[in-house]
Order: sequence, then C-alpha cells, then structure tokens
Amino acid sequence: MIPSDHFVRFYNEVFKYLEAHGGLEDYFLAISEQQEFHCLEGFKTKGLQGVYDYYVKIRREENCGLDMVMEPGCLQLIMTNCPSLSKAMDNDAGLCLRYCDHCPGWVLPVYTKAGLYIIYDLMGYDQPQCHSWILDNLEQAKQKLQEVQKTRPTAKLLKNF
Amino acid sequence: MLRYRETGELHKDFHGSTSLALDFVAERHGEDALTEILHNVGTKVYASIHQKLLKDDPSELIEHLAYFYNREEADFDLEVTDQEITLRVRQCPAIAHIRKVGLPLSKCFCRSTTEINAAMCEGTPWATETKILAEGQCVQRFYRKEKKA
Repeated sequence: MIPSDHFVRFYNEVFKYLEAHGGLEDYFLAISEQQEFHCLEGFKTKGLQGVYDYYVKIRREENCGLDMVMEPGCLQLIMTNCPSLSKAMDNDAGLCLRYCDHCPGWVLPVYTKAGLYIIYDLMGYDQPQCHSWILDNLEQAKQKLQEVQKTRPTAKLLKNF
Repeated sequence: MLRYRETGELHKDFHGSTSLALDFVAERHGEDALTEILHNVGTKVYASIHQKLLKDDPSELIEHLAYFYNREEADFDLEVTDQEITLRVRQCPAIAHIRKVGLPLSKCFCRSTTEINAAMCEGTPWATETKILAEGQCVQRFYRKEKKA
C-alpha cells in the first residue's frame, strides 16, 4: 500500500514518466473525470456553496493552508500552503517541474461542466501557493478577469472562459 | 528515524487516485512503464529506507510499516525478528476505502505494494515476497537472504 500521505510523491513520479513519454495532458483529463465522482454533483446543484463545502473537506483532510473568501457571485480560494506541492518538494526523488499543472488540469474541466467560471493564478511552480476566483456568472467573470489582470499584470492567468 | 512522517488528518480518497494512476499508466504505456515508476518510488522516493537496507539496516522499513499501517487504521500485525519482518494485513485500508466509496479497484493495485517492496530491497541483503490471500488480505515478508551469524 502506498500510504495516502505519500500518494503525491508517487503521483509526482507518474507525472515525470508521462511528461517524458507522452500522455500527461490526457492523464489530467482522466483525473478530472475521476474527480467528477467526488465533487461535480455538489458543484452543479449547490454552485459556489458546493465548491466551498468541497474545499472545507479538502482543507481538513489534506491539512491545507487555505483561506476562502465567499462574496456574492465569487468564491476566492487562497492557498497559502499547498500540502501537495510541499510534499512533492520535500521528496528525495525530486520535483516534477510540471507538478502544479495537474490542479488546473483537472479543476478547469470540472468547473466548466458545472457551469462555473474560474480564473487561476498558479503563482509559481516552486511555491506552494496559488489563488483562484470562481464565479457563477460569465459577465462578472470577465469583469473579475480584468480586475485581476490590472492588479497582477505579470501573472500568467488560466481560465475556462 | 523516518524520512517522511506525516501527521494530522488523512485524505483517503488518494487511494482511489492511486488506483486510477496504476490503470492509466498500464493501459497507455504497458506493464513495464508501471514497473519503472514503482521502482523509482521504491529506490528514489524511499531512498532513505533503500539506503539503510543496503547497509543491512531495516530499522526505517520497520518503522515505516508500523507507522503508516497504524496511521491508516489497518487491521494488521507486524512481527519482527533478527532475520525476518512479517506484515500480516487482514484488511488493507486502501482497498477498503476504494470499495467503501465505490471507485474502481485497479487489477494492478497490489503491485504498488509488491514492486515498491522489491525495489526497496533491490541489491540489499534483504529480499521480499508477498502472498495475496484474498482481496485486501496479504502477508508481506522481508527476510535476510543469508542468515546473520
């Protein structure tokens, strides 16, 4: 058994292999399909509250440093200490440099299927931090994107709209 | 002393993610790809355990088994003698969780045990074998290749 505590270090080795041999993007989509099992229904039926509820569980079980700010129409997820990247970095096998890509790789398709809009700032592949804004209205999402681009002009923002 | 010693809550859904990863790699890249990845986990991620075994020191392996099977609340026994370490798992917590939540169980799932164990022991005075008794039940043995004088 790979302890659940050590899954991300195994995951990191899977990413290295797939990056070298092909299939990493397809794997992110496979992860996304599996994650639908855990969260898509809640996201669809409860919208931003469903996302909030899911990340309350994740914050507890994965021991995240995660601040959440819920405002009308917009939920911010502010990861101040990502346990996943932290473990992948605290690892004698070394970090896959695309490690962080798995997260937007799975969440963007799930949010799209749920009818939600996300703006994602990874902030850096060697920093266990990221910031995302999830919105339930397309026009508001476009407006938020402009605001974020103004305040973070150098950020490479990912989005699903 | 353990190189990795996590505390706090557990996210057991990662066992389902392990199952998916094993199937994805085996189906897309074949059995050898899976072996390569698991070998890297056994020798590089668990480099500390592997390096100690190379020096005929099984202490971290024993601590690893005891700590993480306890942490996952497995139903198990761990028996240690000078010549052999035997882990009897009566209910694998990973498989139990996958079955509980209703995710698919990879047919390769137990290779994540057998091949990582084998990699940790590779080139060391220790060998390993695992008998799968039933789903979620196994006996993992680590034993000295030559009896210590």
